[in-house]
Amino acid sequence: MPPGRKLKPEQIAAIEHWVSQGFPMPESMHKAKRPGADHWAFQPVRRPDPPKVTAENRVRTPIDRFILARIESAGLRMSPEADKPTLLRRVHLDLTGLPPTREELDAFLADSHPEAYEHVVEKLLASPHYGERWGRHWLDLARYADSDGYTIDAPREMWPYRDWVIQAVNRDMPFDRFVVEQFAGDLLPGSTVEQKIATGFHRNTPSNYEGGIDFEQYRVEAVADRVQTTGAVFLGLTVGCARCHDHKYDPISQREFYQMFAFLNNVDEVDKEADRKEFNRPFLELATPEEIARRDAHKAQVKALQAELEAYKKALGPEKVSAAKDDATKDDAGKIDPGLAERTANLRNLRSRAPKVTSTLVMRELDQPRQSYIHLNGDFTRKGSNVEPGVPSILPPMENASAKPTRLDFARWLVSKRQPLTPRVTMNRFWQRYFGAGLVGTENDFGAVGDKPTHPELLDWLAAEFIESGWSMKAMHRLIVLSSVYRQDSRLRDDLQAADPENKLLARQNRIRLDAEIVRDASLIASGLYAPKVGGPSVYPPLPPGVYQVTQVRREWKTSTGEDRYRRGMYTFFQRSAAHPSLIVFDAPDSTVTCTRRVRSNTPLQALTQLNDEAVVEFSEALGKRIEAVHGADTDKLRAGYLLALGREPRPAEQDRLLRFLQVQKDSRIASPWAAVSRVLLNLDEFVTRP
Amino acid sequence: MTLEQKITRARTRRHFFQDCGVGVGKMALASLMGGAAFGGKLNHPAKVDHVIYLFQCGGPSQLELFDYKPELQKYDGKVAPESLLKGKRFAFMDTFAKDPPKLLGSRRKFTRHGKNGIYFSELLPNIAGVADDISFVRGLSTENFNHGPAKLFLNTGSVRTGRPSIGSWVTYGIGSESQDLPGFVVLQSGPRGPRGGAALWSSGFLPTAFQGVPFRSTGDPILNLSTPPSIKPEQQSQTIEAIKDLNELLYQDTKDPEIHTRISQYEMAFRMQTSGPELIDFAKESPKTLEMYGVEPGKGSFANNCLLARRLVERGVRFVQLYHADWDHHNDITKPLDEVCAEIDKATAALITDLKQRGLLDRTLLIWGGEFGRTPMGEVRDAGKIGRNHHIDAYTVFMTGGGIHHGIEVGGTDELGFSPEKKIDIHDLQATILHLLGIDHTKLTFRFQGRDFRLTDVGGNLIEPLLA
Repeated sequence: MPPGRKLKPEQIAAIEHWVSQGFPMPESMHKAKRPGADHWAFQPVRRPDPPKVTAENRVRTPIDRFILARIESAGLRMSPEADKPTLLRRVHLDLTGLPPTREELDAFLADSHPEAYEHVVEKLLASPHYGERWGRHWLDLARYADSDGYTIDAPREMWPYRDWVIQAVNRDMPFDRFVVEQFAGDLLPGSTVEQKIATGFHRNTPSNYEGGIDFEQYRVEAVADRVQTTGAVFLGLTVGCARCHDHKYDPISQREFYQMFAFLNNVDEVDKEADRKEFNRPFLELATPEEIARRDAHKAQVKALQAELEAYKKALGPEKVSAAKDDATKDDAGKIDPGLAERTANLRNLRSRAPKVTSTLVMRELDQPRQSYIHLNGDFTRKGSNVEPGVPSILPPMENASAKPTRLDFARWLVSKRQPLTPRVTMNRFWQRYFGAGLVGTENDFGAVGDKPTHPELLDWLAAEFIESGWSMKAMHRLIVLSSVYRQDSRLRDDLQAADPENKLLARQNRIRLDAEIVRDASLIASGLYAPKVGGPSVYPPLPPGVYQVTQVRREWKTSTGEDRYRRGMYTFFQRSAAHPSLIVFDAPDSTVTCTRRVRSNTPLQALTQLNDEAVVEFSEALGKRIEAVHGADTDKLRAGYLLALGREPRPAEQDRLLRFLQVQKDSRIASPWAAVSRVLLNLDEFVTRP
Repeated sequence: MTLEQKITRARTRRHFFQDCGVGVGKMALASLMGGAAFGGKLNHPAKVDHVIYLFQCGGPSQLELFDYKPELQKYDGKVAPESLLKGKRFAFMDTFAKDPPKLLGSRRKFTRHGKNGIYFSELLPNIAGVADDISFVRGLSTENFNHGPAKLFLNTGSVRTGRPSIGSWVTYGIGSESQDLPGFVVLQSGPRGPRGGAALWSSGFLPTAFQGVPFRSTGDPILNLSTPPSIKPEQQSQTIEAIKDLNELLYQDTKDPEIHTRISQYEMAFRMQTSGPELIDFAKESPKTLEMYGVEPGKGSFANNCLLARRLVERGVRFVQLYHADWDHHNDITKPLDEVCAEIDKATAALITDLKQRGLLDRTLLIWGGEFGRTPMGEVRDAGKIGRNHHIDAYTVFMTGGGIHHGIEVGGTDELGFSPEKKIDIHDLQATILHLLGIDHTKLTFRFQGRDFRLTDVGGNLIEPLLA
């Protein structure tokens, strides 16, 4: 209220009217607050000329020019190139997620060829483990998990999709095709099995089939999640904000949210209680020849038992058979012909033991598309006006779309050359993986309240180059890891701390804590236990007792034996309601919604895990044995330990400290002093950090 | 909504979108378990320092326990009037659809307790014995009638997964006093884990340092707390010393402050290794105390967890949540209900008495309640048995501790226990809990995917009559 006086009646009436209208934002404010067509992220991708720089000797790729120009204009210098062991460990971890083995390290250090590093990069890009590493980054976006989530959280088979991603990345499938197949592989002409498997991308949403639910509610929830994920992953826009009302900052209306929703709303998923039994529809059977043989054999057995039963019934006569039917309760068990009861039970038993056939969740369009609506306040029960499929009007329109555009048209629009967001957002995420932060810090929000790019020209140049390379992901990775900016030393510098404390200018590299899966992978490599198999069903490495107590439905964790005990962290079975603790403790995403950037926490629980987890003890002992097997003095053994675990020579002070530790262990007559040393090595900050 | 309410809401929203939380997401994260990332700043003086949430999974029947409805008994067996059910949605609609639901009067005997003569049924004699210490919130309503989503809603303010839980918000906001135990601890008892699993104590988009740490009922209370059997205690300390020295050498070389954080985390881990076993060792508890709770040493029971909750609070832990399953009495509201009441009655009362005797109750907020209540209508699934369905509109929780009145009833329900007299919802409960901890629920925000999120979303009014 105005101090000292009352509002005039007409003022009160105006406020009342405004309130009764639901507080609409005045049109003038809309225009002032919303970035219209002039917001940087909505501009077409340009290809700026790389600027001239003074330090020409540091220019290895055009990327370096954009970075150097900013560094030089701030009166600073790039950091020197990292030493060879650091560089090798960095590029191995970044491209494959596996640190170099001792042999790879020795070979690289001995290679004096001026392009030794370039050769390593080519080798890594051709390695099957490249697809695992960059596939896993993609699976974060896809909210990949091995269980259904919500209350029941039963296992599901999504690993065929996971393997599709790994293979597509390894084959360097052009990114536009990579996206189209995952969005709408099922709608491509002559769609292959592989293309159908690819559509698992949007079937990774959690599914709820708890007793008493309304299936339509959770189906709508999943579709809304797909719209939101699409926004975050491809458009870098928080379109989810427009689910209940027009977006508060960006030019996305609630209607436009439901227009995108309409593209994704026609999948043949269960929407009513009557179809409960098919709760995981639509899925695709991927039976192996063995599974088909087992299933056929089972079918034949069932048929045989059926025939036997029929024959027996015939012999028994209709009266006794119908008596069995009517009185089929335990009280009257005596009345039933025992032979009939036995045969019936046998058949039932056999039927319940139908052999499992591999299948995976996929997209499949309904014959008759659903009508989509605006859901008032985002409420699935409150339907507003009808909407038809469409894309936000602030972005370039769809080209060559059918009269009623489909999910396939939507996918093609996402990667059309005129739509500027997908290449920018994708390149920004690539950059983020290599430097710890993107050129746009808010990697999932390129809108009005998101960060501005630190190097807008570089971002555009990368986006343009990405498209011109034929959307080759490998080409872009190569460009980045060959650059001088990537190869810099990561030590903090006093001059930079003052001038650029957040390291936005990138006059040095950043140290980055390893992802949860990679902490395991690095231990597997150091200990020599690593099983290099790529793909296949998820595995069950040892799980600390008691972890599964928290799940609602008690489940069995059948600990894997043989090589599956030592597979990469990305293959550990991911149960959403009780994920493996060693993954969660190192910030693996919980896989309920898309994750475009992992948090990197630093907690005492991580320390307890690395110190006390039985798996890490096993890795230490294995590494200890490898060290012990080295011939020579303790200093030689220690050197071997450093090379195996950290990929570098120990410095004198480090050697002194560890030899002192070793002596204390020897004096106390513990069984394996080198396992104790190994345990120290696996706990060092350096071990869990990309240098 | 009245005009006044609408304007208040609009103001809150404007405040929420413009003034709050800017820059929080960019804050450097130096989040020790003990430290708050939000800056540890309270918005007003706190009335309590700790929360113990006794979460009763499955939906306890308020009508059998403490929402006494003589009128419902009068209409027992009558078909529920259509006016009551119109426009309402229930879980398991199909069972209701088959047969029009009939009202079900409670078969339990109710008597008055405490100086204000509050009704309790015979099922909770011990809790009735501390009637003057506790206050009821009646007519509480929630948003979803399925267990998982409703539990999420109570814990995270949203029926969808992915948001931070209340314990995470609190420790993110104001940290914890404990330097050698996690700030947010989760305990579980009963035949199975709570529906919803780890999402209920997830830190959502907040840093994982703030997620609830589930203590285990067998073995180490915290996963990997014990030094492995193959390693001697002195070797453990020598190892941690060596790690520290080598990390320090690396710091001298790289100057990366994250290394110093890791050094301090190893030190805290080592302290936890000492404090953890001491925490769960009940040897120094008097036999009288053990008897009062009904503790059976070595058994992961609700009673054990209640005693553990007191010990956690004594040691400065901020937020303790106990989950006890299972109160989901669809089929039979007789013997199964007797049994679960017997499991929790004595220990709940003992915890309240014990906290009071030790002077801890003044600085602790204790809440007892489930994710929703149960319908005044009966539900028949098996012939000859009767239970109650989920009901989200008018359930009851009780509270005790600092900053609130004791021995009173806030809110109420109609004569059949179907609807609240005045709507109090989950966001109100959450806002009140934060308020007692000294936090303004509209100011505790985190920017994620372009929006400042808060526990209470865009709702939350303090339950004023409860506040002392």
